[in-house]
Amino acid sequence: MTSDQERSSGRVSRRNFLLSSAAVGTAAGLAGCSGGSDGGDGGSDGGSDGDSTPEPTPTPEMDGDDESTPASGSSGPSLLTGEGSSTVYPIANKGSSYWNGNAPPSDGEYWGSNDEGSVPGWSEFETDMYLADYFASQYGFEPTGERSNPPYRATIGLSHSGTGCEAVTDGLVDIGNSSGPITAELGWSEEKASEEVVDHVLGRDGQPVVVSKDIYDAGIDQLTGEEIRKIYQDEITNWSELGGPDQEIFCIGRAVGSGTDTSFRLNMLGDAEAEMPGIDTRQGQNQGVAQLVKQNEGAIAYMALAFTSEQVLPIAIDFEGTVFKPDKDAEHTIFDSDYPLNRDLHMYTKITEDTPSGTDMREGAFMRMFLTTFGQKVFVEGNNYIPLPTTDIEAEMEKLPDTV
Amino acid sequence: MILLIDPGEWRSALTYRVARSREFVDDTEPDALAVGALGSLALVGAFAGFLAMSEYTPVALLTFLLAVGYGWVRHQELAAKGVTLAMTVSTVLILALITVFIFVEAWPVLADRTGRVFGIPVPGLEMFTTTNWTPAVAEPKYSMLPMIQGTILVTIIATAVAGPLGVAAALFLSEIAPGPVREVVKPGVEILAGIPSIVYGFLGFTVLSPWASDQFDLVGQGTYLFVGVVVGLMALPTVVSVAEDAINSVPESMKSGSLALGTTDWQAMTTITIPAAFSGVSAAVLLGVGRAIGETMAATVMLRNTPTIAEPLYNVFYGYDTLTSLIAANYGSSNGFQKDALFLAGCILFVSVLVLSIGSQLIEQRMEQQLGRGE
Repeated sequence: MTSDQERSSGRVSRRNFLLSSAAVGTAAGLAGCSGGSDGGDGGSDGGSDGDSTPEPTPTPEMDGDDESTPASGSSGPSLLTGEGSSTVYPIANKGSSYWNGNAPPSDGEYWGSNDEGSVPGWSEFETDMYLADYFASQYGFEPTGERSNPPYRATIGLSHSGTGCEAVTDGLVDIGNSSGPITAELGWSEEKASEEVVDHVLGRDGQPVVVSKDIYDAGIDQLTGEEIRKIYQDEITNWSELGGPDQEIFCIGRAVGSGTDTSFRLNMLGDAEAEMPGIDTRQGQNQGVAQLVKQNEGAIAYMALAFTSEQVLPIAIDFEGTVFKPDKDAEHTIFDSDYPLNRDLHMYTKITEDTPSGTDMREGAFMRMFLTTFGQKVFVEGNNYIPLPTTDIEAEMEKLPDTV
Repeated sequence: MILLIDPGEWRSALTYRVARSREFVDDTEPDALAVGALGSLALVGAFAGFLAMSEYTPVALLTFLLAVGYGWVRHQELAAKGVTLAMTVSTVLILALITVFIFVEAWPVLADRTGRVFGIPVPGLEMFTTTNWTPAVAEPKYSMLPMIQGTILVTIIATAVAGPLGVAAALFLSEIAPGPVREVVKPGVEILAGIPSIVYGFLGFTVLSPWASDQFDLVGQGTYLFVGVVVGLMALPTVVSVAEDAINSVPESMKSGSLALGTTDWQAMTTITIPAAFSGVSAAVLLGVGRAIGETMAATVMLRNTPTIAEPLYNVFYGYDTLTSLIAANYGSSNGFQKDALFLAGCILFVSVLVLSIGSQLIEQRMEQQLGRGE
């Protein structure tokens, strides 16, 4: 119900926005004609102000025109919108905050470098442009050269993985954030997914298995993948069966069908539709899981890395002889990309008639920001998620449109 | 409310109505009539436009507002009449649309799970005859029974807490407490009703549940017992407030008469006041029950959200899910039939609360009639 209301209100405001931007675009086009000289470039300045009054002129034919590219010239780039999973949200939202701030290169903390320091990976850029200007200009958008005034703004909404996937396929937002693959979230086939959307992976989330402090202190700091499967499928119900204290296992899962739940079934049980009768309780939020592990004895859970603490301790997992440890310096760690419980964090963009590649210029510029050393350090690692290895970054860059 | 009207009478009533409206049209100034007609048309148009998601909806709405504005300046009394009527109609219409929407949304899963009893198709049969809620496996099952059991258990416990406590408190406040105490406590109890339910739920989650888990040696936390207790405490202010009103409304003459015959205060209370106020007090308890059924946040936060039938059926030491907490915990990550099943849970809640509130209204009506006769 709630999501439907949000969605329809989103639709209305989007339509209003398109109408207003269409009206502005037409006006700019007319101005261009009468002026006679400065053709296409002027439009991208005109449309981005956002202070033009919406005109109620009904132009239904503009409804389908969701993507606006700088190539069309007469219409300024529209707001970049995204929504979805709470797990992807910190990354995307921090990115959009930095983007909208459009910090100057002299800032030193958010962008660029000064006496007090420079942002991570600055040596890759060494530019004198503002943050959003730099990335946007690579795709032909006019730099504004003004703080807090990016060439186009980006907003990220918070909902759920499934909602984000639906929103992007329905064309309500540009980017759909999801912590599980869209195939599992919406029950699509791989072919349908590759026809409808492009999957951008901009970071990873490790799902450590955590236990409560009493269990950890009793010496259980490592389990095999098989043991964890048995716990979740109700074949092991007491810690004493695993060499721990005589304490029943309080097994915590996540909301049925949530991204975290789906990918745990897929990666730990080998089947996204496996039954998990061993689960004693389900929680919708990572915070809830962490709180439950804190205040109950004999608890086991899985959750996003960012919520572990001294009371909620990640354990090492032995997958077929390889021991992945929750220690960054170990040989195999739970931060590795081959740790089976690591999951990709997806940002989906929709393939449309206007953008057969699936990613338009606005989306491309925004996403490119995340695929730099700067983006991976600040937005991914800075939120306790796992940065992509070099080969994956190269593969992700391939999915973006070519720079101008 | 007499539904059987003989045709002749009905016809004359109709003729009378037609005559009345013709008179109204003749008496009213033409510009008022025109603006009224334009306004109503625009409002109907706005509604149709809203349903069809047309771009012209704002135009129709604007026309309506302009018509109202003109009417307000030129013919205020008529305009006020029209606007209040329109507001009432829209309120009823909106509620009706919501109701229809819930049922329409729930229909697909009901239709899909149709079973046959003696050859007659019964929609949604499987959801009420099996016991598994497993929406994420290859062949999903959406049984409503675990949640219905949860709701019933929580409601019974809550009623057991709120009923006796609430009625006793109401009796004390109305009959025994000295004036100053009543004047402080009654508003105090009503303020309690304003505490947001998540506050109760959070207290339950962080304090009561872990404590119960330790004391009763349970695996993890979440019990129907303590959810029921918390929900009962939340319903308490409603019960106290309404029951106190009911007891207060027993005519003083009845009590005085009994006292004059030599009964003690306690005898007057048990033999006169409580029987006379009985239906009002039951209405209070029913309202409390309604609150308990619909309570969402406290249940969602404190329960385990793993729909399972508790065994044995009266086992209140493990708390799995109620109809409301099912919706609250799953609305975001559900789609397809699972979402429809959540709407079905909403329908079940809607119907139960409807029955309860109609029941309590009937009881209240009865009370008024009885006491009315007594005077």
